[in-house]
Amino acid sequence: MKQWIRWSGLVGFIAITALLVLGWLFAAGPIIKYSIERFGSQAANAKVEVEGVALTFDPFGIEINQLTVANADNPMENLLQFERAVADLELLPLLLGKGIVNEVALTGIAFSTPRQTSGALEKSASNDDSDDNEESDKEENKEIGVQQTLPTADELLSREPLLTEQRGKAFKNSFTTIKADSDKAIAALPDSDALASYEDEFNRITSGRFESLEDFQQRKKEFDALKKRIKKDQKAISEASKVIANGKETLQGQWSGLQAAPGEDFSNLKSKYKLDGAGVANLSRLLFGDQVGEWSQKGLYWYEKVSPFLVSDDDGEKESEEEEIKRTQGRFIHFETDRPLPDLLIRQAQLAVQLEVGEVAVQVFDITHQQAVIGRPIRIIAKGNALKSIESLAINGTLDRRVSPGKDTFDLSMQGMALNNYDVGAMGLKLDRSQLNVVGDAALISGEINANTVADFSQAQFSSKDKTLVAIETTKALAKIDRFDIRATAKGKLKAPGVDIQSNLDTQLSDAFNKRLKEKQQELEVKLKEGLNEKLLSYAGDYKDQLKAMDLAGGSLADKQAKLKEMASSELTSFADQQKADAQRKLDEKKKAEQKKAQEKADKKKKQLQKEAKEKLMNLF
Amino acid sequence: MIAMLAKLLKALNSDSAPGQIALAFALALITGLTPLFSLHNVFVLFTACIVRINFGAFLLGTLFFSGLAYLLDPAAIALGESVLTHAAAQGFLTDLYQSDFWRATRFNNTLVMGSFIISMIGFIPVLLLARWLITVYRHKVMAWVEKLKITKILKASKFYKVYQALAE
Repeated sequence: MKQWIRWSGLVGFIAITALLVLGWLFAAGPIIKYSIERFGSQAANAKVEVEGVALTFDPFGIEINQLTVANADNPMENLLQFERAVADLELLPLLLGKGIVNEVALTGIAFSTPRQTSGALEKSASNDDSDDNEESDKEENKEIGVQQTLPTADELLSREPLLTEQRGKAFKNSFTTIKADSDKAIAALPDSDALASYEDEFNRITSGRFESLEDFQQRKKEFDALKKRIKKDQKAISEASKVIANGKETLQGQWSGLQAAPGEDFSNLKSKYKLDGAGVANLSRLLFGDQVGEWSQKGLYWYEKVSPFLVSDDDGEKESEEEEIKRTQGRFIHFETDRPLPDLLIRQAQLAVQLEVGEVAVQVFDITHQQAVIGRPIRIIAKGNALKSIESLAINGTLDRRVSPGKDTFDLSMQGMALNNYDVGAMGLKLDRSQLNVVGDAALISGEINANTVADFSQAQFSSKDKTLVAIETTKALAKIDRFDIRATAKGKLKAPGVDIQSNLDTQLSDAFNKRLKEKQQELEVKLKEGLNEKLLSYAGDYKDQLKAMDLAGGSLADKQAKLKEMASSELTSFADQQKADAQRKLDEKKKAEQKKAQEKADKKKKQLQKEAKEKLMNLF
Repeated sequence: MIAMLAKLLKALNSDSAPGQIALAFALALITGLTPLFSLHNVFVLFTACIVRINFGAFLLGTLFFSGLAYLLDPAAIALGESVLTHAAAQGFLTDLYQSDFWRATRFNNTLVMGSFIISMIGFIPVLLLARWLITVYRHKVMAWVEKLKITKILKASKFYKVYQALAE
């Protein structure tokens, strides 16, 4: 047996093993430090620096000291830093290449701290593409920023296709064409001298008795010629009237459209650029103050940073495809277990986050990018007790990516937040003091948010330094209110959700807020209307004068037409009267003669009868 | 490499126990056929260190069987797949899976399982075959080779001097 055991081999094995372990112990710290700084910097796009990394043995783990993550947008500021992080690692899974961390404790976490040196990464050629992407992202952000501010009236008028301009151009073209046509038609009409000559000629032809049939025929011939000319002129006048009437109708129709265009443009602009507030980004700030607004902004930032690392089932499918390709490495077959081992798992992370209001203890459970393996989502519990100006703060979150699409939910409860001297931001209004309780929940699925928040204000006391009527009235209305709530819902895209806010203060505040908003709107509206009117006038030009001229021309033509008609009809009437009068006169004379004759006969007969009667009477006596 | 080969030749030609050389080949079968960086290979290496075997034979055997593994891998993977997914073995394998130690051995990998089974099956045959071959070599081949003219010429050559120098 003795000849089979090689003690020197045992010593050699131990020596080699010890050498490897010691080498790893010395090298592990710097290697981990290098890895954190290199890959962390790539992820944050800014310098990630670590003061030191050390291995611990009881329990086995690593300790990271003074980690800072620079802000890519502001290199002289740290986005995040912590003093110390201690991670308790499981040794055996490490042999499998699995990073299983039982607990990570982070202390001294702080956000937005100043830096002594710039945290910007040194640019390299290989990063050009990513830099371009960043630039485009920044541009997009700038655009978003621009959209959130109200554009000026001039910007709006130059940026948008306006109906006023379109209709104005069409009107101007029509006006030019119609004016030319009407001028041409008017030029072809008889002037007043021509009309006077017609009248003189007419009087000459129609005055005096016809001496003879030849005289009549001569006059008739002249009259027909005159009549023909008059008819020709009448036709010209009719055509001119028609041109003018049509032109006038067209221009009046277009004029109505042009006059309505500024109004329509204004409505379109109003609906496109909602002039009803400074954007939803500032809404939480407006409602709950700068502090809560800042928290929301930071929360959203970190959520967006973390989300890409929470891989869903889709990525699992990709992983299995890769396994298929690497057949020579075999594949792992997993069995049911109470202790599943994903590639990386932090069972529990404890963070002591330093905020201005005090320390908030945050616990995060089951941090992994392979939630399907452990069958549990990431859970976040944040608690802040005895904070400055807040009695209690509790946030519970769940980032569930076990099934696709992932669902992330958050509950917020903030009790007893003291608001003092809070500037409401309108009409010099200040919330002198109030107690605020906020309860909210939010669910995010595929980048869509559905959030509900109820903010309960109690012991509210408002004041305003503004001397405007609106401010005074609002302050008076608010003085009677001790308690109110604001219910806000946000639905839609995470970055631009549709926000609906309701409050039992609506009846009192809506007028005041509306007036405030209307003030701003009115400023813009006045400028817009002025601008649109200027455009309208530039297209309208001397349309009114021309229209007046056309009206006069139309009236003049009608007079001329009437006069010519009168002349024509009057001529016919005079000639017939003469014929008729002659006949009538003859008839009257004949009749008169007959009547005279009959009368004389009757008188004669009467006298005869009287004489006979007298004679008879005398014969009687 | 040449030194290892020289040591192996010296061991073959010496009075070393044939079993020590044969065991080196049998252990090399495990490290060669299975993925090298596996927990069980640490134990194999440990055994190779403390048991008086020919280390040169062990390393050369590992190289040889690693080459052979490229051909055997598909069969090993298929075998591992069938064993790991065999209904009757599920209870036992699930029990093993609950232990961090056994999971550290990566037994649930089809290649590790398949190649380990093949190496275990082949261990005793390789051990016995290697031992028999060494005995036959020493008694028949070595004596026959010694008598060859070419051997005598080689022994007189510079290469043999190098071999001797390295083997010592």
